[in-house]
Amino acid sequence: MPLSRKIVLARLFTRMPLLGRIWARTANIAASDGVPWTPMSKPLSESRICLITTGGLHLKSDKPFDMFDPEGDSSFRAIPATATRDDLTITHDYYDHADVDRDFNIVMPLDRIRELVAAGHLGGLTPTHYSFMGHIDGPHVATLEMEILPELVARLRTESPDFVFLTPT
Amino acid sequence: MGLVQRAIEASGIPTVSITLLREVTEKVRPPRALYLRWPFGHPLGEPFNVAQQLTILHDACEFLYTAQLGELLTLGYRWRRESYSIPAEWGR
Repeated sequence: MPLSRKIVLARLFTRMPLLGRIWARTANIAASDGVPWTPMSKPLSESRICLITTGGLHLKSDKPFDMFDPEGDSSFRAIPATATRDDLTITHDYYDHADVDRDFNIVMPLDRIRELVAAGHLGGLTPTHYSFMGHIDGPHVATLEMEILPELVARLRTESPDFVFLTPT
Repeated sequence: MGLVQRAIEASGIPTVSITLLREVTEKVRPPRALYLRWPFGHPLGEPFNVAQQLTILHDACEFLYTAQLGELLTLGYRWRRESYSIPAEWGR
């Protein structure tokens, strides 16, 4: 499907969620076998969180996501735990992110998490958080599974979060 | 995003996610997901609504401990038709 048609469709889905639901029912999404499972090992007040979103956020100083490849972009960007509104931008043409531009906490709640950690309700946050662009299609699905996810998991192991919270857009 | 979640959980780290598209999540089967019938781009709600953002975060954190294997739970909050307060446990 040409890129422009995909972007028009994605914007339409944002305005009319029902269309998105109908698309999801008919789309060729592979059904998974089994469900992986790891139980929580500590109370929340001792647990370190890592945030991951597919909202297309990244540091302004970082390389933007690829908006010209009609199959999307399977790479991720690292966002330091100390990042503020002024450090971040969004490269993602497939959803209306006007509200996220105003307050990134609605997809990556770093301010809320820092407050919860300061108040002692959460044990901490990992030094790094991660953002994908969300639109990943065709050959990039295999790249995601074979290359990108093993790299992400290896990075997570070095920062050992006690749990990960994921948000879509 | 479900694929990312599954890979992380399989590596030994517990995960919880928000989903805005129930039909996709049912196929991908992540370990724990909370469904909100809200517009795309708003998994924690509206800009600057701190109580709403904390409510969703609190629900997600609680679900880490209460979810059954592969559970996809619908949160019943209506879009822009609820009033939120800061979760009691996290009151300041």
